[in-house]
Amino acid sequence: MLNRKSVSFLMLSSILALAACGGNGNNGNQGSPSAQPSSSASSSPSASQKPAKDVELRMAWWGSEERHEKTLKAIELFEQQNPGIKITGEYSGFDGYFDKLNTQIAAGNAPDLIQMGGNIKEYSGKNSLLDLTPYVGQAIKLDDFTPSLVREATDNEKVYGVTLGVSSSALLYNASMFNKAGIAIPADGWTYDDFKTVTKQISDKLGKGYYGSYDLSSDSATLASYLGSVGKELYRDGAIHFDKKDMVDWFTMWDELRKSGAIVPAEVQVANPPTAVDKSLLVQGKVAIQSGSASQISGFQALTQDQLGLVTYPNGPAGSGMVPPISGQFITAYSGTKHPDEVAKFMDFLVNDPEAGAILGSTRGVPPSAKIRDALSAEITPVDKVLYDYISLVSEVAPDVTYQQFPVDSEFIKLLQVTSEKISFGAASIDSAVDEFMSEVNKLLEKAKQ
Amino acid sequence: MQKYKTYLAGYAFLLPWLIGFLALTLGPIIASMYLSFTQYDLLTAPKWVGLDNYKTMFNDDFRLEDSVKVTFKYVLLSVPLKLAFALLLAIMLNQGLRMLHFYRTIYYIPSLLGGSVAISVLWKQVFDQEGIFNRMLAIFGIEGPAWISNPHYSIYSLIGLSIWQFGSVMIIFLAGLKQIPQELYEAATVDGAGIMRKFARITMPLLTPVIFFNLTITLIQSFQTFTKAFVISGGTGGPINSTLLYSLYLYMKGFTFMEMGYASAMAWLLLAIIAAFTGVLFLTSRFWVFYSDGGK
Repeated sequence: MLNRKSVSFLMLSSILALAACGGNGNNGNQGSPSAQPSSSASSSPSASQKPAKDVELRMAWWGSEERHEKTLKAIELFEQQNPGIKITGEYSGFDGYFDKLNTQIAAGNAPDLIQMGGNIKEYSGKNSLLDLTPYVGQAIKLDDFTPSLVREATDNEKVYGVTLGVSSSALLYNASMFNKAGIAIPADGWTYDDFKTVTKQISDKLGKGYYGSYDLSSDSATLASYLGSVGKELYRDGAIHFDKKDMVDWFTMWDELRKSGAIVPAEVQVANPPTAVDKSLLVQGKVAIQSGSASQISGFQALTQDQLGLVTYPNGPAGSGMVPPISGQFITAYSGTKHPDEVAKFMDFLVNDPEAGAILGSTRGVPPSAKIRDALSAEITPVDKVLYDYISLVSEVAPDVTYQQFPVDSEFIKLLQVTSEKISFGAASIDSAVDEFMSEVNKLLEKAKQ
Repeated sequence: MQKYKTYLAGYAFLLPWLIGFLALTLGPIIASMYLSFTQYDLLTAPKWVGLDNYKTMFNDDFRLEDSVKVTFKYVLLSVPLKLAFALLLAIMLNQGLRMLHFYRTIYYIPSLLGGSVAISVLWKQVFDQEGIFNRMLAIFGIEGPAWISNPHYSIYSLIGLSIWQFGSVMIIFLAGLKQIPQELYEAATVDGAGIMRKFARITMPLLTPVIFFNLTITLIQSFQTFTKAFVISGGTGGPINSTLLYSLYLYMKGFTFMEMGYASAMAWLLLAIIAAFTGVLFLTSRFWVFYSDGGK
């Protein structure tokens, strides 16, 4: 049983545990950033003021194996240059990344550095991210960034993130499969009719188990571009700008492709989701086309001998529905970080340090800093060249619109997927599935307004 | 005084659990009660909305409807099948086998591994369209469907996995069987009773307390199943919500869609459902559970 001695021992140990938790908090680094102007980019190993105690930071990101390795290498370099700062990587695939992050933010122990995507404003709007404005121009240099890249991370005139790479949604294709089937590789400006012909030909020529394309009826980026190509728009300013007929047309098109055998059947699609790089049939040389972010090509290419490439989404009656290139990912800081200065220093390092730039390459898209970009172009790898060319192509062909992401994106994606599955598995008619889709979309818009 | 000491020992054994309950579980339970009346996105402070979450749950959430249907199907099929399977094996193992310990251990292994993510991943591999199971069927010329990625079969693959983890239920049955006095069987044999009759008139009635216990525990666990569905469906509950077990949908609402208030309300609905089921079990138990000591 407990006696007085053991109780006091327990008390003591719990006090020690508490003290350990709070230990990093009192390093006196919470002052204004201008108090430490010396903490700029290229600091030498002999940092002028070595902190009394090691600063430990955590950084979260998602990605493929290739991105993990490169990021860890960059972190290692930073640690060598900045003794006294340790950064622990918390990395994973994309699935579940934001679930985990939400939990960590709610519990108040989110990582200091957080990789964000297009949903950055959902988090900045809720005070989860650190306002970086005081550091911009000081520790974080964004001078040679395109202004639009800074704007994308700006909310209420405050900067919340630093662009890590420029990307654009794209169709990734397996060129080796096209060659094997003896079919010309698609080029920018192709149409949905071309898409139908090409995918059917590949399925026919390569035989059972090989398909021209994934079923993209569940892919929101392809849908957004399709709507643009028929003169509509997925979302702008709190409302959708398409109607039931557009969705019926959309699902009917994919239904015909499915029935003709040009795209993967429903079961294969579910078992090998294109979003998981280790499952992608494009990488395995069984499906010739899938949708994704252009920057994914380096991760995908690292896993296959086949030649991969990028092409724009097909054109429709209204021309190209491409969205101009955007920041694929940002590095942001948790508003509760205890070491904002070190965090800012590392952010700057990621985008401005030439050595870090060389290590990271295009793993998160085309680097935002012109200097780094130029340095990389000098000794460009084939896969990076594909990405660079694609991004500049999209900048030319995309209509001049400012992209707006659907506000409760994760739910929209889920809804589109379930609707697509209902049709592909024959659980509902296109008409009734679309009716349900439209009413659910309206509910999501309501939710977003709250 | 003697009695007091007995109580003390009881509480002493209870203490580790009690401390855990008070420190780690009670607080969150109370908090979730409060949160169920709020709109809470995890990132900003909860906002009181009264009964809104409960109203939405009953009137305006078709996915919850899907989820409840799937969960009932899962529970109503997996619980009886698992108990029957476990009982059958326990009876077989109770036939005075040599190397009983060995078999007992072997059959228990799936349950040890069962809750783990690794087994769910393995299950996914085995029952994939091109998995080992279908390749075996192919030897006999049968073309198996995609057990996991076809919405007609996916829930059965989860039920199968649940049945396979029969070990702990079986061990408890085995212990119960060993408690039944051999004299009863001997007397019945003398009276000319056959195997089936002995099973129906001796084994089953005397085993009812153990069945009752196993049924209650398995039922509660089944309603709360999460890991299998999460891993096997890749966190989606798909295809078309066919594996969207209640706990998985609750998780999705709370952590993916950031509606923690709604998720809390769902948790309380689940509690009510489980309480209703166990309540019915307890109320009916006096009609079908027989205690050899009269239930004292």
